[in-house]
Amino acid sequence: MTFLSPLLLWGLPLILLPVLIHLFNRLRYRPMNWGAMMFLRMATRKSTRYAKLRQYLILLFRCLAVAALLMAIARPLVGGWAGWMVSSRPDVILILLDRSASMEDKNGGTLVTKRETALKTLANTAKAYSESSRVLLLDHTGKHPKEIANLNDISTVPTTAATDTAADVPAMLQAAIDWIIEAKPGNTEIWLASDLQQSNWHPEAQARWGAMREGMLNLPQNIRVRLLAMNEPTESNVSVTIEEINRQQRGNSAELELVLKLERKETVVQDAFPIDFYFNDVPTGERVTVKFEGQTMRYRRRMTLPAADSGGWGHVQLPDDSNARDNRAYFVYGQQELTSVAVVGSDPIARRVLQIAASPDPASTNVVAEVILNDKLGDANWSKYAAVLWQSKPPEGDMAAKLQVYVNSGGILIFFPSGETGSFEGLGWGEVQTAAVNESFKVSRWETGEGPLANTAEGTQLPMEDLEIIKRQVISSESTVLARYSDNTPLVVRQIMGRGQALMCGTLPLEEWSSLTEGFVLVPMIQRLVSAGASRLTAARQLVCGEATTGDRGQRWIPIGNNSGTEFGSQSGIYRSDDRVVAQNRPVHEDDWVSMEPTKARELFGKVPVQLFEEKESGAPKLQSEIWRILLAFMALFLIVESILILPKQSEESSTLAAPSERLAT
Amino acid sequence: MAEGAYSEFLDPEVLNRLMRQFLHARVPMVGSISGQHKSPYRGSSVEFAEYRKYTPGDDTRRLDWRVLARTDRFYIREFEADTNLRCYIVVDCSGSMAFGPEGRRKFDYARKLAATLAYMIVHQGDAVGLQCYSDKVLRDIPPRRNPLHLKYVFDTLADAKPNAGTNLVKLLHEFSEKVRQRALVIIISDCFCDVDELLHCFQHLHFCKHDFALFHLLDPQELDFRFDRPIRFMDLEGEESLLAEPAVIRTQYLEQVREYLTKLHEGCNRFNADYRKVQTDQPYDKVLADFLVEREMFVK
Repeated sequence: MTFLSPLLLWGLPLILLPVLIHLFNRLRYRPMNWGAMMFLRMATRKSTRYAKLRQYLILLFRCLAVAALLMAIARPLVGGWAGWMVSSRPDVILILLDRSASMEDKNGGTLVTKRETALKTLANTAKAYSESSRVLLLDHTGKHPKEIANLNDISTVPTTAATDTAADVPAMLQAAIDWIIEAKPGNTEIWLASDLQQSNWHPEAQARWGAMREGMLNLPQNIRVRLLAMNEPTESNVSVTIEEINRQQRGNSAELELVLKLERKETVVQDAFPIDFYFNDVPTGERVTVKFEGQTMRYRRRMTLPAADSGGWGHVQLPDDSNARDNRAYFVYGQQELTSVAVVGSDPIARRVLQIAASPDPASTNVVAEVILNDKLGDANWSKYAAVLWQSKPPEGDMAAKLQVYVNSGGILIFFPSGETGSFEGLGWGEVQTAAVNESFKVSRWETGEGPLANTAEGTQLPMEDLEIIKRQVISSESTVLARYSDNTPLVVRQIMGRGQALMCGTLPLEEWSSLTEGFVLVPMIQRLVSAGASRLTAARQLVCGEATTGDRGQRWIPIGNNSGTEFGSQSGIYRSDDRVVAQNRPVHEDDWVSMEPTKARELFGKVPVQLFEEKESGAPKLQSEIWRILLAFMALFLIVESILILPKQSEESSTLAAPSERLAT
Repeated sequence: MAEGAYSEFLDPEVLNRLMRQFLHARVPMVGSISGQHKSPYRGSSVEFAEYRKYTPGDDTRRLDWRVLARTDRFYIREFEADTNLRCYIVVDCSGSMAFGPEGRRKFDYARKLAATLAYMIVHQGDAVGLQCYSDKVLRDIPPRRNPLHLKYVFDTLADAKPNAGTNLVKLLHEFSEKVRQRALVIIISDCFCDVDELLHCFQHLHFCKHDFALFHLLDPQELDFRFDRPIRFMDLEGEESLLAEPAVIRTQYLEQVREYLTKLHEGCNRFNADYRKVQTDQPYDKVLADFLVEREMFVK
C-alpha cells in the first residue's frame, strides 16, 4: 500500500487519542459522598462485565474511527479490493503492453499518449513492488518477456516505443502463459495495459479466449490479472490509409493513381482539411483540401510521377490531430508493368468475349488478356496472372490443386458455364436451364455495396435488371450470393479462399445465353475483379506492420527518408533491403476505433481473477486505486457503532420513566 | 421553648397545626397510669366492656345487683381501661444519614420528625424516649411524660451528628429484648442494611407486641440516580470509594433499589408495621399529618 500524502502518517499516534481522553476522564471523576453504597456495589457487580466490554468496544471503535480518518487523509493507494489488499506480493509482475498505433492517441488534449500514460502508471505502481517482485515486460510484438532493471527508465526501453502494428491481445496473453509454463515463476500478476480496441482483442475468437482461460486456470501458480483500460474516447482524429496504387502510362509521362480511405472520429465536425502528398520526401507542391462527408470517405488522386521511367516512393500526410500515428500512409510504386489475365475457355466465342472484357484497350489500361488453350494448361504460370477467367469444365486433380494455391495466394478465379457439371472448392455446376419462349430469367437482387457488382463511385447502379438471360447453368453453392434471379436462384456467387476469391457466374456472354455480351455488366465486373487481383501483384511492395513474413524479417532493412520508422516490422515507413523497396503501413483494422466495454473485456477472462482499472476522464488511470472514500465510509461506520454503544439501553430508558422516586413517593 | 433554641428542627407553626391531632397507638398499650389509649386490661373507664361471672376475690362493689336480683346469679360488670402510651423514637445517626444538600440532609429531616413527634407525644400526656444510634447506641433516653424531659430530648437531637456505620439490626434486636412493655416504636432511618435481617428485627418487634412505625428516609438522588458524568462515590460510612459511570450502571442500580423497596414494603406489611417511605424533598409536616390521620382512621 502506498500513500499520496505519506507525511500525514506521522499522525498515526493520534489513534491513541481516545485512550488518552479516556484515561484523562478517569482522573477527572467528580468525587461525591454517597450513602447508598449497598445498591451501588450490587449494581456495579452486575454490570461491570458488560460495562467493561462495552467500554473497551467504544474505545476500540473510537480508535478505529481516528485511524480510518488518518489513513483516509493520507490518501492510500491499494491494488484494488480487499482481496488484493490482503494478498501477498507477487513474485513476478509481468507487464503486457499494447503499443499498437491506436495507443498513440493523446489523452484529453494533452501531449501525452495513452501508451506513455500507461507506461508511467505501470512503472510507478511497479516501483512499490520492486524490492519484492521481479518486473518483466512483454509487448505485443514479442514472445519473450524482458526483465526491467530500472523502472525509472522504462520509457527508454525499445520494446516500449510506439509502433504502427495492431495488437493481438489473446496472443499476448498466450505468450505470457507460455512463458510462465517455461520459466516456472512463483505467484504472478499480469498487468495488462490496453485501449480495449475491439480489433485487437478479438472477442469473436471464443476458442482462443477459451484456451487462454483454461491455460491460465490450469497453471500451478496463482495468476491474477490487472487490466488497465486506457479507454478514454478519442477526441478528434482523422486517419488515412492507401487502398489502391495504380500506375498508368500516359504517353511520355506516367501517372500514379492513389485511392485513399479517410476515416474520422471527431467531436467537432471539420468540413474540410488539407492533404499533402510527397514523392521521395519532397512535397508535390500541391495541397489538396478535401471536403469530408460522413465518417468514412474514399478519395482518388492522380498525380504525375516525377520520373516516368522509374519507380519510387512517397507518403500522404494529414494535419496533426490527437493521434499522429495514423496521419501518414506510405506507398511505393514500381516501373510500368503490364497486368495479365488468363482466359481459359471451351467456347471460342465466349473466350473471345471474355478476353475483350478483360482487356478492352491494352494500350491505355496496361492489361493484357492471354488465352490459354486446354493443352497448355499444365504449363501455365498462374501466379503471374491478376485473374483467371475459366469457361470450361471445372478443374480436377492436379489442376484443381494448382488453382487452389493460386487463389489462396490472392488470385481471382472466375468460372463461367461450360454446360458440364462439376465442382471446385464448394462451388458446383448443376443443370443447364433455358427460359420459356419469349421469356428470360430476370435478375432481381444483387450486392451493390461492394464486390464486382457494386455501384460506381458516383453511386450509379450497374444495369443488372436490364440483363436478358435466356439460358443459365444452375450454381450449387452455399457461398456468398452476389446476384440472384427473381426465382432466388443464384447468378453470381463468391467463395473467399485464403487471400483470394473464387467466383461463379451462372450465364455466358453469348447471344443464345444472355445479353452479357453488351458489356454493360460484364466489363465493369471483370475489370473490378482484375483490379482486385492485380493488387496482389503490387502488394509485394506494400507491407503491413506486424505482418511481415519470416523471410522478410530475416533480411536487413534500412529505413529510407526522413519520416520512416527505425524498426522494420513494427514501425511504418519506407524500407530498403538490397534492391527491394517496400512501404510498410499500419494494419487497416487499426483504424477501426470501436472499443470494447471494459466489463465485456473482463468477461473474456472468465474465472481468472481480474481487477479492472479504468482510465478516468481526466487525469491518469491508476492501477492502484485510492480508497480514501472507503476509509471514510468505515470511519462513519465505526462512529455509528460507537454511538449505538454509548446510547442508553431501552430498558434503561423505560426505567427512567418509572424511577423509584416517582413510583414510591407516597 | 421551641422558637429560639431548637428552631433548627422545630417549627411552631407546624406544631400548632399538628397539635390539633392526636397520635394514636394501633394496638392496646400497657401503661402505668390512666391515659387516652386502649389497654388490654379492664379498668374503670365509663365505657362498658362485658359481663363476667363473679369469682371469689372479686370486688363486690362491681357486682351488678340488678342482674342478681332478677336472676339470682352473680355477675361482675367490666369496663374498658384507658392507659397512657410510651413511645420510643429511634433515630439513625449513621454516616449515610448525612447524605443530601446542606440543610436538607436526611439527618436534618429525621431530627425534624423526631422533635415534632416528641413534642406532640409529651403534650398529649404520653411518655417519649429517644434512642440515637449509629454502629452503637449513642444516646438512650428512657420515656418520660414530663414536659421538662423534652429539653433533654431536644438537646440530644441538637448535639447528635451523623457518623460511622450502621448497626440497626443488632440494636433493634437488643431494643426488643430490653423493652418488655408494649410501646410505640418510631424508627427514623434510611435502612441501608440487609433487608432480610432488618425484616427479622421487625418480626422480633412484632412478636414483642410493639406498635412500630418506620419512617424510611431517602434522598431523591438516591432514588433517581441521575448523574451526567462519571463519579467517584465516597462511602459516607467508611473509607471505601467506587468509580462508576452512572449512565452505565443506572439500570442495575434502579433495579436494586426497586427490589429492595418492594421487599421492605412487603415485609413491613407482613409484620403490621406502619411503613412510611419519605423523600427528603417532601414537606415533613405533611408527612406527619398523613401519619397521624391514617393512624386515627385505623383506630376508629
